[in-house]
Amino acid sequence: MNFEHVLAHHLIDHKLFHFMVGPVDMGLSPLIVSMWLAGLLLTAFTAFAARSQTSAGRLTRGMVEPVILFLRDDNLKPLFGDHTDHFLPYFLTLFAFLLGLNLFGLVPFTAGTTSNIAIPAAMAVTTLFMIFAVGIKEQGLVSYFKHLAPSGIPWPVLIILFPIELIGIFAKCFSLCIRLFANMIAGHVVSLSFLFLIFVFAKMSHFVGAAAAPGAVGLALFAYLLDVLVAFLQAYIFMILTAVFVSMSVHPH
Amino acid sequence: MDKLLTPDPGLMIWTIVTFLCLLAILKKAAWGPLLGAIDARDYRLKEERLAAEKARSEAERIQRELEEKLAGVHAQSREMLAAAAKDGEALRAKLKAQAEADAEAIKQKTSAELAAEKNRLVAELRGHVADLSLLAAEKLIGKSMDEGVQKVVLDGFFKDLASSKAGTN
Repeated sequence: MNFEHVLAHHLIDHKLFHFMVGPVDMGLSPLIVSMWLAGLLLTAFTAFAARSQTSAGRLTRGMVEPVILFLRDDNLKPLFGDHTDHFLPYFLTLFAFLLGLNLFGLVPFTAGTTSNIAIPAAMAVTTLFMIFAVGIKEQGLVSYFKHLAPSGIPWPVLIILFPIELIGIFAKCFSLCIRLFANMIAGHVVSLSFLFLIFVFAKMSHFVGAAAAPGAVGLALFAYLLDVLVAFLQAYIFMILTAVFVSMSVHPH
Repeated sequence: MDKLLTPDPGLMIWTIVTFLCLLAILKKAAWGPLLGAIDARDYRLKEERLAAEKARSEAERIQRELEEKLAGVHAQSREMLAAAAKDGEALRAKLKAQAEADAEAIKQKTSAELAAEKNRLVAELRGHVADLSLLAAEKLIGKSMDEGVQKVVLDGFFKDLASSKAGTN
């Protein structure tokens, strides 16, 4: 049994059908369907929390409200100040979407959406767009690019510094993408590695493999539980870093 | 392994589209009402706190006013008590003085009346004694004396009596 083959089979998307728009294949795949399902569940859950007057609705609201208040008052307000309410829906959606995808990927028989690099990459692209769009909107096109490098420095330094700052923005988004992707795929890799121990030992003897199975499954379960924590953590980290980067382009200094 | 690290542009575009749709839907369906409810609650709590603070300061103000009023009433009652005591004292002194004056006047009047009565009685007694003496002398002598003689005799008698009285005293 080939580990790489299993991992690739588990994580790489397979198009259900092809639908070419120019050079891009927009055909649906299990990951896209999973993403939509996660989105639907997320919408149903949050809308239920927001609108239901039943006791279950109040309970759900009691779970969601502290998270919103934490993100708004403790995380976003120090970064955006008076602009917080304007950006709040974006960051709440970003956090909820990533958390939903991360958690949905942990449900058995579903596809690990954020473990495929395309989805973290797409989210990083939205962050990149937000950084530039908000910066240009708040400061104006010329002023934004003028303030990329600190003012008052000699022009020879500026020639070096400006590209570095510009590349820095792309690097930040690239690191966002890699961080989320690597953390989420790591959970799968670790779980699969533990499970593969069974087959490694079984190559020696079937009895050794059977004896190793409970320990390997236990460790895989532990890694799985750790993944639940990582799902929350990475969604939060992605959101808060995006907020920091965007706030830096709102206030250049 | 290459395939794991190569992002699929179609999936990326679908992700962005899904995210943007979700952003619009959640903004309308979830965040709006949730944030509205949170803001409304915050506003209500703030209002209630302000109202409570206002009520407390109002109560404190009223308490202060009442205390001031009470202090005023105390001072006034003390003043009134003091004034009443002073008035009472003055009245007592006045009544006492008047009573003493009245008593003195009554005493004076009574003494005068007594003295007058005594004089009258003495005079009357003198008259009676003279008449009786005369009568007794008439009876003894058996004949009436001349009024002029009577008078001389009587005056002499009383003079002797007065001098003998003065001598005994």
